[in-house]
Amino acid sequence: MMRTEMRSTHRTQSRVAVSSALTLGRKHRSDYWLLILCAILLSTGLILVYAIGPALSAAHHVSSGFYLHKQLIAIALSLVAFLITSQVPLQWWKQAYKPLLIAAGLATLLALVLPVNPDYPAHRWVRLGSFSFQSVEVLKFAVMVWLAGFLSQRIKESSITDTNQTLKPILIALGAIGFVVAGIQSDLGSTGVMVAMMTTMAFVAGLPMKRILLITAIIGAGLVLAISATPYRRARLQTYLHPEANCQTTGYQACQALIAVGTGGIVGLGLGSSVQAYGYLPEAANDSIFAIYAEKFGFIGSILLLAVFVAFFARMKSIAERLPDDFSRLLVIGVLSWLSVQSLINIGAMIGLLPLKGITLPFISYGGTSVVFVAAAIGLVFQCSQYAAYSVPRIAEGRNFRDNTLRSRAERA
Amino acid sequence: MQNTNIVNSTAQAVKRVRLWYGLLLVVVAIFGVRLFYVQIIRYDHYKVAALSDQLKQYEIPASRGNIQAHNGASTLPIVLNQQLFTLYGDPVYIKKPQEVADKIVPIIGGNAAQYLKQLKQKDTRYVILGKKLTNEQQKKIAALKVPGLGTQAQNYRTYPQNSLAAQVLGFVNDEGAGKYGIEQALNAELKGKPGLLKAITDVNGVPLAASKDNIQQAPVEGKDVLLTLDLAMQQQTESVLADAVKSTRASGASAVILDPRDGSIKAMANVPTYDPSKYFNVEDGKLFGNAAVSEPIEIGSIMKPLTTAAAIDQGVIAPSTSYYDPASWLVDGFRITNIEEDGGAGTRNIADVLNLSLNTGATWELMQMGSGKINAKAREAWHSYMVDHYYFGRTTGVEQGFEAEGYVPPPADNDAGINLTYANTTFGQAMTATPVQVAAAYASMVNGGTMYKPHILEGTIDGAGKKIVNKPKVLKQGVVSPKTSAAMLPLMQNVVAKHHFNPDFDYTAYTVGGKTGTAQIAKPGGGYYADKFNGTYAGFVGGDEAQYVIVVFVDKPTNGGYAGTAAAQPVFGKLAHMLINDSYVMPKKQ
Repeated sequence: MMRTEMRSTHRTQSRVAVSSALTLGRKHRSDYWLLILCAILLSTGLILVYAIGPALSAAHHVSSGFYLHKQLIAIALSLVAFLITSQVPLQWWKQAYKPLLIAAGLATLLALVLPVNPDYPAHRWVRLGSFSFQSVEVLKFAVMVWLAGFLSQRIKESSITDTNQTLKPILIALGAIGFVVAGIQSDLGSTGVMVAMMTTMAFVAGLPMKRILLITAIIGAGLVLAISATPYRRARLQTYLHPEANCQTTGYQACQALIAVGTGGIVGLGLGSSVQAYGYLPEAANDSIFAIYAEKFGFIGSILLLAVFVAFFARMKSIAERLPDDFSRLLVIGVLSWLSVQSLINIGAMIGLLPLKGITLPFISYGGTSVVFVAAAIGLVFQCSQYAAYSVPRIAEGRNFRDNTLRSRAERA
Repeated sequence: MQNTNIVNSTAQAVKRVRLWYGLLLVVVAIFGVRLFYVQIIRYDHYKVAALSDQLKQYEIPASRGNIQAHNGASTLPIVLNQQLFTLYGDPVYIKKPQEVADKIVPIIGGNAAQYLKQLKQKDTRYVILGKKLTNEQQKKIAALKVPGLGTQAQNYRTYPQNSLAAQVLGFVNDEGAGKYGIEQALNAELKGKPGLLKAITDVNGVPLAASKDNIQQAPVEGKDVLLTLDLAMQQQTESVLADAVKSTRASGASAVILDPRDGSIKAMANVPTYDPSKYFNVEDGKLFGNAAVSEPIEIGSIMKPLTTAAAIDQGVIAPSTSYYDPASWLVDGFRITNIEEDGGAGTRNIADVLNLSLNTGATWELMQMGSGKINAKAREAWHSYMVDHYYFGRTTGVEQGFEAEGYVPPPADNDAGINLTYANTTFGQAMTATPVQVAAAYASMVNGGTMYKPHILEGTIDGAGKKIVNKPKVLKQGVVSPKTSAAMLPLMQNVVAKHHFNPDFDYTAYTVGGKTGTAQIAKPGGGYYADKFNGTYAGFVGGDEAQYVIVVFVDKPTNGGYAGTAAAQPVFGKLAHMLINDSYVMPKKQ
């Protein structure tokens, strides 16, 4: 009796497992280049936060090691997050979207319900004692994992082009995110990142181009609505269009950021010589850190940093191309689009190409929540990289990609 | 079918990943171009913009020199500096104005709502929240550590002797400029030259160490100055004047005590006066002026000794000359007469002219300058004495703000009764002068004929406390001849001896000479007031020689009698006694 029950349970489980099983090949060595690039970016951020410590302490009246210390704690937490996501099997993640979404929903709810710091009146932070994080970071991660699983399932069921089954849920998710994150939390930056991430994932998953364009049009309309509905966003848009006209008021941060970048010149003022960090440029350690970097290291340094970012993105792109499985590929694409779009929105604002959004520069910016969830995402990519094939399939020949790679591997062995 | 799907979907995915990644690279490339534009092409533009924010220029204020004066054998500072602080806010950096306003109220008092209103201003980077904060208040503000809130040290003048010599000293206004008195006249020396600090600073204006754009220039500190004033003498002069104004119910009074041997002013005072530490509370701006140098009036009969000395000096009369005085002269159709008490026509001598204060006598002296009548020659001769010898109608150069020139009518015939005008000048009407001008003229008359520049600046004191004393400046030698000067002393002593002083002077030990004046006051529209007079007195006190010249003006006394005798003469008497009693005067040798 007992035995029968157990067996039937086992069978049910295994059936579920089969239906959502990943078509990964054999595990092999992970992509350590990915980690090396991450480490370079992370150290650059640490050095910057360390170097502007005296300036920050003068501007914010804290000890000069305050930010560095907090950042080191965040990095320690990030390592934990990385270990978890890189070790817990992908199979589990594919099925874990429900608890993840619930956790993200709870975090968002808490952020909306809990009292806010009067300095930052938008309901973005969850504060539990001395521990605090931005709910949207949890949401980004959860939505990414959910969407990768959802889309891969639709591909498997050959319903990726089906409007009702595929497009509708995505649009509903987009609407909900837009309402909460852009509408209530007024966090257009994170909304932008999530929308870009979801659109990219849907695009790569094979949603028809027409529908992607449709979604883009809807989002565009929503964006126009969002901007024109709130006065402070209109002001930001004005500021973005004419930053130098409003240097003393709404355009202050944009102007100071450009001044920081511009004074960097060719080689920069040097690591210890930033002036703009001394209270001129708001959020010098967080959102504005790229401007401080550009002031210190100039054009050459800025291009080098962009190059490291590009190398890092290229690494992820290469992993995604070589992954035989839809879920893992979409996961990597999710992380890639998330981190790249967030980086470009951040840097674009600092160099006056995009409006200020108030989001961090991944790896470089000071800010605990950001670093921890970025590390978690990298952990997933790191695990995926173990399954990447050695070479990209030759698309033109239309051969079975998986068989090909397996054969070549076998031949080599 | 399934397999083909997978292949197709994978192939499509890779294609789409590459397309998307290509777009990403395009954006990154645009960023690269933009960085090139901002950091290399527009570098100069942003460098200038950065410096206009970051490079702040500060004046390092030079500390203003102290003012010292004599106190017996030593010197004492009478004007010092005190460092107080101005509290300012930069609304751009004050993110929580309500909180900041609430924080500063317990420290500096005032109204939080008012501060809030100031801190919420959007069109300014500098609002002054408080002035004259003490060192302690400044420290408390600094301890708040509010970005955008700062204090600025500012020096304020303090006056250990309170209002003593206020109008001689003047004050220093909020902008650090000396106004009136010594502060104005010697502003450049006292002020020094501010230093300059150009530095890259943090947002609160704190200079960042070691920047190649920093420039520092040390200030040149202001000089300490030493005045000729004697504080005790000044103190007593002020109190005598205040009493006199009270007892004679006058509008005001001025007095100058000057050493005729070098032109140094030992005391100079006016009533009413003010408190220089609260200069901003003064409503009547006239109070700021030192009337003794800035308010010329018609001086009245104290001119007669100077007229007499001029006539003697020209050799047209002698000290012992007698003449027939008709008790009235008709000049330009106007009758010049004397006061009733002087009696009618008769033979008079020069001593009578001064002692009885004969207007007709002074007019007769002018006629002698014109060989018996008032004419161009007489006018020119007398004009030359008034302006070129006695320095009337021109500034003396005393170190005071707003020194007045006074007025001497030009001698040229103006077809408007110039001879009458000139007859009037011989007894101190139709011309104006200040107490300091009269004191300088008297000094030259009694000291053997040397016109010293009347001065109140004795010298400067360098950083080590060493005095650098200026040499008295001689404006003119031979104002009158030594012989004339010697003749004038007994003539003026005679006037004092024949007038009533209470107590009387000890003529065995001291020489005291002088002359009263009861001056008519010109109406603004022409003519003179019938019932208002100024009382004046000019005289000297000494032992073997004249050691102090004292000039007293009393403005419109109302205690009855002739203003000169009833109001000004007692002040002279008290001051002369004060100088004798306090041993300022060396008695005669034997």
